[in-house]
Amino acid sequence: MPFTLISLLHLLTITAESHGFSGYMYPNEYELQWGLLIVVYPYLTGLVAGAFILASLERVFKVSALRPIYRLSLLSALAFMIIAPLPLLAHLGHPERCLEMFLTPHTKSAMAMFGFVYAWYLSVVLLLEIWFDYRENIVRWSNEKRGIKKWFYKALSLGATSVSPESIKFDHKMGKIITIIGIPSAFLLHGYVGFIFGSIKANPWWSSVLIPIVFLFSAIVSGIALMLLIYMITTMFRWKQISMACLNKLGELLFYAIMIDFSLELLDFIHRLYESEESISILSEMISNRLFVSLIVAQIIMGTLVPMVSLGIARFGRLPDELRRIVYFIAALLVQVGIFSTRWNVVIGGQLFSKSLRGLTVYKMELFGLEGLFMTILFLIAPILILFVLTKILPPWPSDEKAVIRDTEKVVTAK
Amino acid sequence: MKLSRIPQQVIPLTIIFALAIVALVAARQMLVPESFGKYGHYRADAVEEVASHDISYAGIQVCNDCHDDIVEVKQESYHRGLSCEVCHGPANNHAEAPDEYTPGAPRGRGYCPLCHGYNPSRPVGFPQILPKMHNPGKACMTCHNPHAPTLPHAPEECSACHREIASTKMVSHHTTVDCRTCHTVPKDHWSDPRAVHAEKPTDRSTCGQCHATGADSPKIIPRIDIETHGGRYLCWDCHYPHHPEATL
Ligand code: HEC
Ligand code: HEC
Ligand code: HEC
Ligand code: HEC
Ligand code: HEC
Ligand code: HEC
Ligand code: HEC
Ligand code: HEC
Repeated sequence: MPFTLISLLHLLTITAESHGFSGYMYPNEYELQWGLLIVVYPYLTGLVAGAFILASLERVFKVSALRPIYRLSLLSALAFMIIAPLPLLAHLGHPERCLEMFLTPHTKSAMAMFGFVYAWYLSVVLLLEIWFDYRENIVRWSNEKRGIKKWFYKALSLGATSVSPESIKFDHKMGKIITIIGIPSAFLLHGYVGFIFGSIKANPWWSSVLIPIVFLFSAIVSGIALMLLIYMITTMFRWKQISMACLNKLGELLFYAIMIDFSLELLDFIHRLYESEESISILSEMISNRLFVSLIVAQIIMGTLVPMVSLGIARFGRLPDELRRIVYFIAALLVQVGIFSTRWNVVIGGQLFSKSLRGLTVYKMELFGLEGLFMTILFLIAPILILFVLTKILPPWPSDEKAVIRDTEKVVTAK
Repeated sequence: MKLSRIPQQVIPLTIIFALAIVALVAARQMLVPESFGKYGHYRADAVEEVASHDISYAGIQVCNDCHDDIVEVKQESYHRGLSCEVCHGPANNHAEAPDEYTPGAPRGRGYCPLCHGYNPSRPVGFPQILPKMHNPGKACMTCHNPHAPTLPHAPEECSACHREIASTKMVSHHTTVDCRTCHTVPKDHWSDPRAVHAEKPTDRSTCGQCHATGADSPKIIPRIDIETHGGRYLCWDCHYPHHPEATL
C-alpha cells in the first residue's frame, strides 16, 4: 500500500537527521525501550476503531451515503484487528506468555486487561456483527456453491440456515444492537490505548487526561482516511463505478474529524504552554529539534493542515469530480502519514527526553530483528493481505452494485 | 419462552460462547497454580521454592566468627557499608568448609572501578576516579587497603571527589576560576568531607568581585549591574555557577 511506503520513507528521514545525545541523560535512558513496534500498535488499533465507527454511522445513524462501504469497513476493521496485537507480542519476546493474562487476570493493571478488551471487541463486536450481517448471504452461498466451498459456507452459517423474513429481521435487529454496543467498545478499545499512555504520571509528555480523547479522534480520522483509500483502490481494481456521493460524504466526515482532532491537539498544546510546568523547556527543545520533521512537518503541516485545507476546498468548492477524487486520495494518504507520525511522536517522543529534564537522547531504529523496520513493514502489509482474503470469502460488494450506487446517489441528492 | 420461538441463530452462538467460557474456566481450573493469589498476585509456593535454593551468600555476621579482625577494621573504614561478599563473591561454602574452598579476591584493577569509576549519576562527593588515568599499571591494593581504604595522602585536587563538577567547569566559561574563589574549604574537608563541610556562596558579592561594573578584574569578563541585574534573585538561581551561560 502506498501509505505504508510513504510512512516508512518518512521514518527513514526522521532517523537520518537525528544527531547524538545532548545534555544529561540517566544511564538507563540512553536506549529507548519502546520502539517502532509500539508505534505500530496504536496506529493499527486506531484504524480498527476508526473503520468500525465509520461503519456504525451507516448502521445506527443511517448515513445512507456510506452504504457502499459499510461491509468493507467491517472487514477492514477485522483485518486490522487480527494483526493489531502482534506487534505487542513480538515486542514482548515471549508471545506464549500472553495467555497468562486470561488465566490470572490482574484487574488493577490497565495493561494486563488488554486481553479482555481485545477479546471482547474481536469476538462480541466485530465477529458477531459481521456474522449477523452476512448470514443471509452465507446461507445463500452454501446453497449455490459446490464442493468444498459449499461445506465451508455451511460451517460458517453455524447451522442457522433459516432465511425466513423473521430470522432476517432478527439478524438486522441484532446487527443494530451490536453496533450500539460496539460504538462504546470501539471508544474503549482505542481510548484505552490512550489511557495507558495518559496515566504514566512520571512522563510529562504522556501524562494528560486529554490523551485518550485525542487518541480517539485521531483514530476516527485515520479510519475514515483508510476507508477512503481502500474504497477508491478496490473499486479501481475491480473496474467498477465509484459512488461519488459516498466519496463526498467520506471527504466531508474526514474534514470534520480532522478539525475536531486538530482542535483537541491544539487545546492540549496550549494547555501545556499555559501551565508551563518545569518540563516545558525540555519539551519545547525536543519539539524544535528532535521531533521537528515528524511533528511540525509531517504531523501538523503535511498530515493535518494540508489535508484539511484541500479537503475543504474539494468538498465545498466547485471542482470537477475527477479532480475531486484525486484531491481526496492525496489528502487521505497524507492523513495516514500524519497519523502515523502522531503515534511516532507520542511513543518515541515520550522517551527522547531525560526524566532529569536536562537532556535528549536519540532513537536508533533496527532494520532486521524482531523489533526492526522489516518486521514493521510486515505488520503493516499483513492486514491488507488478510483483507484481500476476507473479501474473497465474504465479498462485501452487492451483486447489483450499480443499482445500489444509483440508489445512494438518488437518496443523497433527494436530501 | 417456548424453545421453538427462540431465533435459530441464537442457539449456535450460545453454544459457542458457553463453550468458550467453559474452556476458560476449565483452563483456569487446570492451569492456575494452586497457591496463586494467597499473598498477592503471584504463586505463593514460589516463595518457598526460592527459599529452598542452596544458600550461596553467608552474610557478614558469619564471616565475623573467624575474621573478626578484618570485620573490625572494615567497620571503622570508608567501606563500612560494604558486605564482604560484594568483593569476595558468594562464600557460604567457604564459611562451612574453610579448608576446602577459599573465596577469591579482586586483586586486579578491573573490579573496584565498578563502584569508583567515573559516572555522572553517582552522588555528590562519591569518590570516583578515571581508571585509565589514576595510577595506571598498578593494582589498586598496592596503594589502597581494600578493607580500610583511607587515602595514602589527601587528594590534591577537588576533582578527586567532585569529578562531575570539575569536568563540567573545565569546559565552561569559568574554567580559569578556581574552586576556592567561591568556596571556602576547611582543611579537614579533604580528609573527612562528611563531617567537615565546605561552604557555598551565600550572596551576590561572590560573583560581584569579577562581574560587577566597577570590579577590579580582567577586562574580558562581562559586566553587569550587580544591584539591578537579575532582580532580587541569587545569581545562581539563573546561572549555573559551574557552567554559566548568558546566551542559550
Ligand atoms: C569457620 C571459620 C571461617 C569463616 C566463618 C569464614 N572464614 Fe574465611 N577463612 C577461614 C580460614 C581458616 C582461612 C584461611 C584458609 C587458607 O588460607 O587456606 C580463610 C581465608 C579467607 C580468605 C582468604 C583467601 C585467600 O585468597 O587468601 C578470604 C577472602 C576469606 N576467608 C573470606 C571469608 C568471607 C568473606 C567469609 C564470610 C562469608 C569467611 N571468610 C568466613 C575461616 C573462615
Ligand atoms: C572492597 C572490596 C573488599 C571487601 C568489602 C572485603 N574485602 Fe577482603 N579482600 C579484598 C581484596 C582486594 C583482598 C586481597 C588483598 C591482598 O591480597 O593483599 C582481600 C583479602 C582478604 C583476605 C585475605 C588477606 C588478608 O588480608 O587477610 C581475607 C581473610 C578477607 N579479605 C576477608 C574479608 C572479610 C571478612 C570481609 C568483610 C568484613 C572482607 N574481606 C571485605 C577486598 C575486599
Ligand atoms: C560495592 C561498591 C564498592 C566497591 C566494589 C569498592 N568500593 Fe571503595 N568505596 C565504596 C563506598 C560506598 C565508599 C565510601 C564513600 C563515601 O564515604 O561517600 C568507598 C570509599 C573508598 C575510598 C575513599 C576513601 C576516602 O578517603 O574517601 C577508596 C580509596 C576506595 N573506596 C577504594 C576502593 C578500592 C581500592 C576498591 C577495590 C578493592 C573499592 N574501593 C571497591 C564502595 C565501593
Ligand atoms: C600508586 C598508588 C595508587 C594506585 C595503584 C591506585 N591509587 Fe587510588 N589513590 C592514590 C592516592 C595517593 C590517592 C589520593 C589523592 C589523589 O587523588 O591523588 C588516591 C585516590 C583514590 C580515590 C579517590 C579518593 C577520594 O576520596 O575521592 C579512589 C576512589 C581511588 N584512589 C581508587 C583507586 C582504584 C579503584 C584503583 C585501582 C584501579 C586505585 N585507586 C589505584 C593512590 C593510588
Ligand atoms: C576527599 C574527598 C573530597 C575532597 C578532596 C573535596 N570534597 Fe567537597 N565534598 C566531599 C563530600 C563527600 C561531600 C558531600 C558532603 C555531604 O553531603 O555531607 C562534599 C561536599 C562539598 C560541598 C557541598 C557542601 C554542601 O553543603 O552541600 C562543596 C561546596 C565542596 N564539597 C567543595 C569542595 C571543594 C571546593 C574542594 C576542593 C578545594 C573539595 N570540596 C574537596 C568530598 C570531598
Ligand atoms: C564561580 C563560583 C564557583 C566556582 C568557581 C565553583 N563553585 Fe561550586 N558552587 C558555587 C555556588 C554559587 C554554589 C551553590 C549552588 C546552589 O546552591 O544552587 C556551588 C555549589 C557547589 C556544590 C554543592 C552543590 C552541587 O552542585 O552539588 C559543590 C559540591 C561544589 N559547588 C563544588 C565545587 C567544586 C569542586 C568547584 C571547583 C571544581 C567549584 N564548586 C567551583 C559557586 C562556585
Ligand atoms: C574570579 C572571577 C570570577 C568570578 C568570581 C565569577 N566569574 Fe563569571 N566569569 C569569569 C570569567 C573569566 C568569565 C569568562 C569571560 C569570557 O572569557 O568570556 C565569566 C563568565 C561568566 C558568564 C558569562 C558566560 C557567557 O555565556 O558569556 C556568566 C553568566 C557568569 N560568568 C556568571 C557568574 C556568576 C553567577 C558568578 C557567581 C556565582 C560568577 N560568574 C563569578 C570570572 C568570574
Ligand atoms: C533572573 C535571572 C538572572 C539572575 C538572578 C542573574 N542573571 Fe545574569 N543573566 C541573565 C540573563 C537572562 C542573561 C542574558 C541576557 C542579558 O544579557 O541580559 C544574563 C547575563 C549575564 C552576564 C553576561 C552579560 C554579558 O554582557 O554578556 C553576566 C556576567 C551575568 N549575567 C552575571 C550575573 C551575576 C553576577 C548575577 C548575580 C548578581 C546574575 N547574573 C543574576 C539572567 C539572570
